[in-house]
Amino acid sequence: MNVLPKMTPLRWGIAGALIVLLELVNRLAGVGMSLVLTEMLILALFASSLNLLMSYGHMVSFGHAAYFGLGAYGFTLAVARFDVPVELAVFIGPIVAGLGGLVFGALCVRLTEIYFAMLTLACAQITFTVLFQWYDFTGGDTGITGFMNPRFGLTEQNFMTLVLVVLVLCLFAMAWIVKSPLGLSIRSVGQDRWRAEALGLAPRRVQLTVFVIASVFAGIAGTLFAVFQGSAFPDYAGLGFTLDALIMVVLGGLNSFWGGLVGAVILVQLEHWVLMVTSHWELMLGLAVLVLVLVLPQGVVSVAGRLSNMLGLGRKK
Amino acid sequence: MKEHSLLSVRGVRKTFGQFVALNNVDFDLPAGEKHALIGPNGAGKSTFIACIAGQLPGVEGTVLFKGEEVTAAAPVDLARRGIGRTFQISRAFLDMSAMENMTSAFVIANGAWASLRRSVLANAEDSARSMLETVGLGDHAGSRVADLSLGDRKRLEFGMALANDPDLLLLDEPTAGMSIKERHHLMDLVAARIDETGKTLLFVEHDIDVVLKIATRVTVMVRGAVLAAGTPAEIAENEEVQAVYLGGHH
Repeated sequence: MNVLPKMTPLRWGIAGALIVLLELVNRLAGVGMSLVLTEMLILALFASSLNLLMSYGHMVSFGHAAYFGLGAYGFTLAVARFDVPVELAVFIGPIVAGLGGLVFGALCVRLTEIYFAMLTLACAQITFTVLFQWYDFTGGDTGITGFMNPRFGLTEQNFMTLVLVVLVLCLFAMAWIVKSPLGLSIRSVGQDRWRAEALGLAPRRVQLTVFVIASVFAGIAGTLFAVFQGSAFPDYAGLGFTLDALIMVVLGGLNSFWGGLVGAVILVQLEHWVLMVTSHWELMLGLAVLVLVLVLPQGVVSVAGRLSNMLGLGRKK
Repeated sequence: MKEHSLLSVRGVRKTFGQFVALNNVDFDLPAGEKHALIGPNGAGKSTFIACIAGQLPGVEGTVLFKGEEVTAAAPVDLARRGIGRTFQISRAFLDMSAMENMTSAFVIANGAWASLRRSVLANAEDSARSMLETVGLGDHAGSRVADLSLGDRKRLEFGMALANDPDLLLLDEPTAGMSIKERHHLMDLVAARIDETGKTLLFVEHDIDVVLKIATRVTVMVRGAVLAAGTPAEIAENEEVQAVYLGGHH
């Protein structure tokens, strides 16, 4: 896999232009589009956190939404139940998600492959059930609403800009991790845990580390989502969100740093535009996934890579 | 345990169901030896290496390394104590470049696996570059391991096993699947490195020419037990060995 394409000046330019373009659309295309873009960017962060686990740690999680939900509820409960100022509570959400990742991760990394995936699913279902059933504290299936002005009271456009900034910062942090000695260790264990162990690396410790890191980033996404909606519901930790993130990573491109981001852009934009034409969104999504997986098994990012090479924008040796 | 033994094995027994893979094996390995384990297929050589390397559960008997019991120690603990190894079937990180593989080995050897600092990575890369040159892979640093030849992969693995400067190096059939020329090339490299560093080598090998050329001492295993041990010349002359292993025509 290409761990992270080297950022040549041209690629930095393209990335900068895309960010400017996104901001221009945000400012010029109306409130509706700003809301769509905000959701897209939050889900891109969430999918990228799952991508960190899947593409580098080779750990397929069927329960990543648990940490999205814990982030959302960590923030919401801090504000709604403990009167913590929102400026402080935004840090509590990711911390709660990280702690959840630490506890559940310690359990999950004891097993590998499909058994690991089933444990992550079980942990997520436990989280969902607690959020769903604990009416006195979490509000149960009615969730928690009306505890704050959505988006901190910012306009739709300004909040989208804020989310964009947070996403860019998080992507920088993820890229830094991926390219660090820790990133190399994560990839080593992901590729061959026995080889890594024979070299003196404790695989479970590495897997738990990346699990917690991915949980914190998912928690940041969950916190942003709770702020965006001004509410928290148990569904945030449900299977639906996990499946969305899984589809985004696969659509965008597994084994690519940009897979989650690109997948989120495709999925959210597809939903937005398809719903304008037909209400059969799920049918269209199923067809889109079918076609893309058959035609582009390595995801949409692989097309960008090939195009980049064809145009001579690839890394020079 | 004999005096000055780096590795001492006493009464090691390993069964797989009803099958007895190792039966009461005693073995001593003094520091500085290049020791070959030979024997027909199914003799228990690889099982023996796996037992020492902490890869198999339920091993009976005692394994002492540097005088300390390591019988139930995990591979990661053994690696930290100074046992390096390669596998019978090549196990490098296939989807990473040779450079990344070697850098990973040095990052781990330096105890810096959780570091986020680029300078730590840069130091490991310097060491990795030097080791790649040593094992003759300097020109393949950027190549994906999956694209390397088997011989190159084995050399890479050998270099990776050396990253934490192990006192004992376990090589399980390091030349399996390689051409005669590649075998000698690799094992000459291994022997030179061991001689240079004064470390200890235990290797499983089927190619008798390689064994006679490299080993300072040889242990012959048959049906899970030690049949004979001695210098290569003694083993070559041993009638039991000739009958069982060499087919009696030497």
